[in-house]
Amino acid sequence: MPTSILRANGLIKRVPTAEGELTILGGIDLDVDAGGQVAVVGESGSGKTTLLGILAGLDLPTVGDVWLDGAEITALGEEQRARVRARSVGFVFQTFQLIDSLTALENVMLPLELRGDRQAKEDAREFLDRVGLAARTTHYPRQLSGGEQQRVAIARAFASGPKVLFADEPTGNLDTHTGARIADLIFDLNREAGTTLVLVTHDAALATRCGRTVTLDAGRVVTDGEP
Amino acid sequence: MTPTLAIKFAMRDWRAGELRLLIAALLVAVGSVSAITLFVDRLQRAIEEESTSFLGADRVIGGSREIPDRFREVAREQGLAVADIITFNSMVYADASGSDRNQLASVKAVSPGYPLRGVVRTAQEPFARGEPTAAVPELGEVWMDSRLFPGLGVEVGDRVAVGYAEFAVAAVVTGEPDRGGSFMDFAPRLLMRVEDIPATQVVQPGSRIGYRLMVAGEDAGLRTLFDAIRDDLAPNYRWTSIREANASIGRAIDRAESFLLLGGLLAVLLAGIAVALAANRYARRHFDHVGVLKTLGATPGEIQWGYLGVLLVIGIVGTLLGLALGGVVHLGIIAALGDLLPPTLPLPGTRPLVVGSITGFICLLAFALPPLLGLRKISPMRVIRRDLGTGVAPIVTYSFAAIGSLALLIWHSGSVVLTVAALLGAVVTGGTFAVLALILLRGGRVIGMQAGSTWRLALAGLQRRYRENVAQIVIFGFAIMLLLVMLLVRTALVEDWQAEIPKNTPNHFLMNVVPSEVEAVQNLLTERTAYDGALFPMIRGRISAVNDTSAREWRRRVGPRPGPGIRSERNLTFSADLPDNNVVVAGEWWSADGPREAAASLEDEYASGIGVSVGDTLTFDIAGLPLTVPVTNLRSVEWDSLQPNFFIIFSPGTLDDYPATFMTSFHLTRDEKPFLNELLSAHPTVTLIEVDEVIRQVRNIIDRVTQTVELVLYLVLGAGVLVLIASIGSSRDQRLREHALLRALGGTRPLIQGALVTEFAILGVFAGIVAVIGAEITVFTLNREIFELPTSLHFWLWLAGPAIGMAMIATVGYLGTRKLVSSPPATVLREV
Repeated sequence: MPTSILRANGLIKRVPTAEGELTILGGIDLDVDAGGQVAVVGESGSGKTTLLGILAGLDLPTVGDVWLDGAEITALGEEQRARVRARSVGFVFQTFQLIDSLTALENVMLPLELRGDRQAKEDAREFLDRVGLAARTTHYPRQLSGGEQQRVAIARAFASGPKVLFADEPTGNLDTHTGARIADLIFDLNREAGTTLVLVTHDAALATRCGRTVTLDAGRVVTDGEP
Repeated sequence: MTPTLAIKFAMRDWRAGELRLLIAALLVAVGSVSAITLFVDRLQRAIEEESTSFLGADRVIGGSREIPDRFREVAREQGLAVADIITFNSMVYADASGSDRNQLASVKAVSPGYPLRGVVRTAQEPFARGEPTAAVPELGEVWMDSRLFPGLGVEVGDRVAVGYAEFAVAAVVTGEPDRGGSFMDFAPRLLMRVEDIPATQVVQPGSRIGYRLMVAGEDAGLRTLFDAIRDDLAPNYRWTSIREANASIGRAIDRAESFLLLGGLLAVLLAGIAVALAANRYARRHFDHVGVLKTLGATPGEIQWGYLGVLLVIGIVGTLLGLALGGVVHLGIIAALGDLLPPTLPLPGTRPLVVGSITGFICLLAFALPPLLGLRKISPMRVIRRDLGTGVAPIVTYSFAAIGSLALLIWHSGSVVLTVAALLGAVVTGGTFAVLALILLRGGRVIGMQAGSTWRLALAGLQRRYRENVAQIVIFGFAIMLLLVMLLVRTALVEDWQAEIPKNTPNHFLMNVVPSEVEAVQNLLTERTAYDGALFPMIRGRISAVNDTSAREWRRRVGPRPGPGIRSERNLTFSADLPDNNVVVAGEWWSADGPREAAASLEDEYASGIGVSVGDTLTFDIAGLPLTVPVTNLRSVEWDSLQPNFFIIFSPGTLDDYPATFMTSFHLTRDEKPFLNELLSAHPTVTLIEVDEVIRQVRNIIDRVTQTVELVLYLVLGAGVLVLIASIGSSRDQRLREHALLRALGGTRPLIQGALVTEFAILGVFAGIVAVIGAEITVFTLNREIFELPTSLHFWLWLAGPAIGMAMIATVGYLGTRKLVSSPPATVLREV
């Protein structure tokens, strides 16, 4: 029987603005099984990205709780949440988020080094090889194309062996062809590693590749099920 | 995060060029402080050596009684060098050489080792320049002042008599370090050995003899000696250092020290600002890195320790390089100044290195730590929403900077009051600058609406980021203001020093010219030199009674007091006006145009020495004729002013009926000196006083102090330029992003470049304006409170300040952005 690896109960997120308090998430419950693939879709401003941030422990809800890999991350301090991220979470972002002063290899090594992995260099090299960038290890992000940068980001995300991979519009900055190849890469590696995938996207085609689609509108779940 | 990882991060940042500005700022902070302290440390030792040569020693213990052996023993125990001097006036006779002339000489008997500082110069011809010598006269020999030779009609090699002993004249003494500028030493010098004094039988009980013990050596030893003999000094002995011995040199050194201190402080603060700006930029560029690191699982603690580790690496590297730079710069300065400096500068102590290192780390902690500490607070959500999180609150940054500046200023200046006053002043100035800058920016916008596209673009840019621009004008303004302050204070100081001894100051005095010789002397001087002065009367006389009590009885009643005795003969003069360098301290000076009544004015220390004050009546014996006058005022006199000074001055008319001799002063260059031989041969009875050597010595010291002061100005200038670079660097990214967007929208490169340079130039002009206002106020206060100099507005500055600001900031801004403006907009947008 599949066990839940990510669970959110009654998530509400309000932020103060000049015009008063704005409710971004209006009470969201979500349960994701280990190894599952969930696409979160919705219009711009529907609260997708905020939800992703809270589920991954990057941000805290105003009300509600989140359980990730057995830990109630909403009850933890920033210090402990960071440890949970180091242990269990990987990220792929729309804007790649590579550190531009580091080479491709060093970017992939980062999470391994933070964990104190003595094999960081070898492991990182292996992951770059798996995303097809063995020849570009000493290149800086600005010397790589958008697709290549995203591949480095994917290598970095999988290098730490995460249990849950959060992807925020991973193909949003890429052309159709490159986007399709990046999507293939994410799903292939995800399958190989048995990682749980939470994917935020606009792209209906990409969403359909996940087994389950959650649609948000104005901070509420309007549909949840197979695409 | 492990230390190895921190070092790894630091190395990667260095490789990517992220740390260059920060390390450069630190390098300049440590470099300028250690260069200044190193150089000043060595130069101060040199100046002190030069000045002490003016005294002939580091300290002198003088008195009218024999120096106790205990003083000498304590000095020797402390490892100090000692030399004895005994001075007295005596007639010198030339009968042994077949001449019937004699002259009064000021005899100075010295022990081997004299002088302990500086050199004696001797020659084989009178009035020659002479060569330095380390020797003293041999036993049985004397060295004599040039003017004794024509006066006695002798030459080197002849024999002269002092008291009952006869001596061979072995050399002409042309310079003594401790001759001093005092007019007490009227008579020409005769130098002999202390050991020869008994044979002369001149020193008898009751003779007026001056005893001096010269000491030289380490400061600690000198202090111990002073502490050990302090209680035995008064009332018979005086302890003298250069500051007391010559007030004008003492003042110059004091002011130069204040100036150097100020300069060093400004360099540190400027470099501190540069470090803060560079660290801010580094931190801002790392906001995204930290966001990414946090999503990858780095904890806030790891981020904090990681960046502290980076800071430590920067600190160590920057400090070591800074010390090396400081060493090189100070060697460069020494090489550049070349033979203006003493041939062997004393070696520096370790203090400059310690000061440089500690300053570097305080700079880092106070100015660079806060922005980096703020990094731990960056939200990991930043990876998704870039506008999130800007690190540490400004109040924390400002507090750290204020505490750091306070610590640095108190440490360097040693004065809490001065420091707090300076910081308060800086805060008020900063606030005023900000308001001014805002007004200027608003005004600029209104004018800019009418201008062409480059101008409109530039002014719109300035207006759009007015907060950042106000801050930048304040920073630029401060940097330029500090530079102007240094420049103005330096100029005022140097002018004041040069004014102490104007060129063509009389450096020779002629006294005892009898009335029958006045015309001949005047003619000779006018024909042979640039002389256009006049001879004025001087009368010898002594006090015979005070308030109808005889002087002898008066002295008995008053009791023994220091200073010249009441019955000794004095030079008297009369004057309608109070002489320069004299200040009336009691009573009133006679009015120049009122009714002329007989009255006398006394020098106040002399008056207290003989127990006389305003209201007493003095009876003088002038060439056998009595004169009775009331004392109507007392004056303090600057004895080292190199001008004729008098203990007693009469109101005009009082001395008209008494026989006078005449005196005058004139300027001679070194080449004209042989003329004196002719003058003294023709008029052997006149008394000549040469002060040219003394004036040259004072000038030398002042010149050297001036050079040091100028040098510090250049170092501060370097630190100021660095602040400009750092400040422009810190706003560069934002400016470039905006302008790259404009280029992407079709703006031409010349338009963008023009707008950027115009923007910087306007910032520079505004900064120049606020800087001039700040500088005028600061200089006014500094000159009044610290340097005690007269001060006024500097009109040229109001044009020069904005022009300098514009030129400097436009140039640095242009150089800093040139490369990026030339690269494709996409690259710029991606990089910044």
